Amino acid sequence: MRISIKEVTEGLKSIVGEEWVITERESMEGYLRDETPDAIRPKAAENLVLVKPSSTREVSEILRYANEMLVPVFPVGGRTGLVGGCVPIEDGIILSLERMNKIEVDVENLMAVAEAGATLGDLIKAADEAGLFFPLHPGDEGAQIGGLIATNAGGVRAVKYGVMRNYVKGVEIILPTGEILNLGGMLIKNNMGYDLMHLIIGSEGTLCVVTKAILKLYPRSRYSVTLILPFNKREDAIRAVPEILRSGVTPLAIEYVGLKELNAAANHLGEEWPVQSGDAQLLIILSGSSEDEVYSACERISEVAEKNNAGEALIAETHDEQERILKVRSNIYTALKRDMVDILDATVPMSRLLDLMIKIDELSKRYGAYLPVYGHAGDGNLHVHVMKENGEVPSYADDLKGEIYEATVSLGGVITGEHGVGRLRIKEFHRFLSEKERNLMREIKRVFDPNNILNPGKIFP
Amino acid sequence: MINQLNIIVLLKQVPDIEKVKFDFKTGRIDRSSAEAVINPFDLNALEAAVEIKEKVGARITAISMGPKTAEASLRDAIARGADNAILLTDKRFAGADTLATSYTLACAIRKVGSYDLVICGEKTIDGDTAQVGPEVAEFLGVPHVAYVEEIREVKRDRILVKSKMGRNYYIIELKFPGLITVTKDVNTPRLPSLKDKIRSRKAEITVWNADSFSDLADERYFGAAGSPTTVAKVYVPKAERRKGKIFRGDLERAAKEIATVLREAHVIR
Repeated sequence: MRISIKEVTEGLKSIVGEEWVITERESMEGYLRDETPDAIRPKAAENLVLVKPSSTREVSEILRYANEMLVPVFPVGGRTGLVGGCVPIEDGIILSLERMNKIEVDVENLMAVAEAGATLGDLIKAADEAGLFFPLHPGDEGAQIGGLIATNAGGVRAVKYGVMRNYVKGVEIILPTGEILNLGGMLIKNNMGYDLMHLIIGSEGTLCVVTKAILKLYPRSRYSVTLILPFNKREDAIRAVPEILRSGVTPLAIEYVGLKELNAAANHLGEEWPVQSGDAQLLIILSGSSEDEVYSACERISEVAEKNNAGEALIAETHDEQERILKVRSNIYTALKRDMVDILDATVPMSRLLDLMIKIDELSKRYGAYLPVYGHAGDGNLHVHVMKENGEVPSYADDLKGEIYEATVSLGGVITGEHGVGRLRIKEFHRFLSEKERNLMREIKRVFDPNNILNPGKIFP
Repeated sequence: MINQLNIIVLLKQVPDIEKVKFDFKTGRIDRSSAEAVINPFDLNALEAAVEIKEKVGARITAISMGPKTAEASLRDAIARGADNAILLTDKRFAGADTLATSYTLACAIRKVGSYDLVICGEKTIDGDTAQVGPEVAEFLGVPHVAYVEEIREVKRDRILVKSKMGRNYYIIELKFPGLITVTKDVNTPRLPSLKDKIRSRKAEITVWNADSFSDLADERYFGAAGSPTTVAKVYVPKAERRKGKIFRGDLERAAKEIATVLREAHVIR
């Protein structure tokens, strides 16, 4: 930094006006953290200023100014990440686009143009009001569009519609120089050279700031149901998953969850989980354009479930009943968070999911650790939790994580399928990715952000 | 085990309240905007019947009055534990207020014949009157207890319930035949099993029209013709949105301003 944070503050005030530059620590408390468990969350720096621009032009001016003065900029969205990706770990500027939250739905093209500060909840609502549907659901609807793109968010509904990358058709970005670029467009086909837009998706705020995006919407499915399938044996549950997909049914989501964790989450919400038999359960969300279509899928799933020794499956049909189930599923993390050290998002080919779970059982036994496991069984993405012991981070936590990662990679998987590298996974990222790949990524970072002002200390040490 | 009871559950199909759109100009519900579901309180009524069935044995008949599409809700009722279902559908039933609705339902119950207990939800979420249950009991000439939030005991000829009326609780013993309306606190409705749901899609629904019980009813009391209620005006209160205001400047002055605002809003005295 060439100048003091006081000077930066004055510089920012001249761009966005006094009201939108915040320096009091107590007023920026919520911007210094994300949803990473306390035990491992990186600490925010001391000298920070929070700025809330209202337009692309203001963002551009802020970046140009920061680049000139070599001031680090930490773009933040809804701060719902789990790897410290948006935590401002060096003195500098926190950039929140929350005032840039306009959404326009283009019904003709089945797309939405959303500013980066709009929340996922806003987008779901806007799409719904236009009779359309934005299926992506990483859990917390407070996440913002910019953050969803920066982290290439996933979530429970990837089985049918894919991850954030599959929705983004265009982005407006600001480079550190302040230059504004529009990549992609309302196009299904676009072969203009290297695909820079897809390079930006998942770049975790290290290459540019996304200010606006064109996002694909889908017709609202007229009919949907949620199924709960209980199994006594986990193997049976996991084995049923590819069989369901092979039967020609593509559910919106297939989630594997243990009864113990479901009960913990339901209890946390003051509810009761409706199925108390079967330690291993599959939650399946089906959607379709007609009741007949959905029920014929239900029948096929029922057959597969029976073949794989499932117990009595239940079905939720009303909006209210389905929401309650999804809410319990979405709150497993919140229920466990207090006693949690870390949440991993190891991802393997779907056919190796059971192998990974068996390996995790072994580790659980060997370390004598409770390792709650649940995840997106329909896409091979498993959330393994490392828990505290007697309120403390156990001494074996890092070794255990290392072994889980090794097992994942040896099964043809990656250490992160959803959460990204952020601050927390840098060590493993460098351990499991080839030097050549890392060097290419470094070069790309240098081309976009030669002064390393954008989200420094993330992805790369 | 006592001899099997005959229980009748009255259901209404309503729009899914979480999704339904409201036309603020006309004050009408746009029923096409959301899928139709069983009125949530009626799910409690059905669950209460199923719990009685599990404890002492009962045959449950679900009855609904509505358009042909209300068959879906009756199928749902069968998936959730009803043994059979009757749909009352006829143009002559349309436009009914609570009086005509109750009359029609009471005629249908008479037509069913012997029953021990009729169970309804305390009210519907689209009408919100809570009148139909008690009015049906009056037409049938049987005793009723409204707002039942606990069923304490079921015997062959009577039921012991706890009813909440305003601030007071009443523990009431009701002799059969009789009618109760239940609140949402009476139980937590279970989800139906996938198998029952699939099976219920093929279940037969008995359909009755006005002629089906002409021997028991006076057609003049059906539908719009039998409805003395007229809606004079529908008024939709404007939803108050949360407001935010930032007080800046001198701390003491800002504090005083905040106090004034809170006093004016009757938050503090």
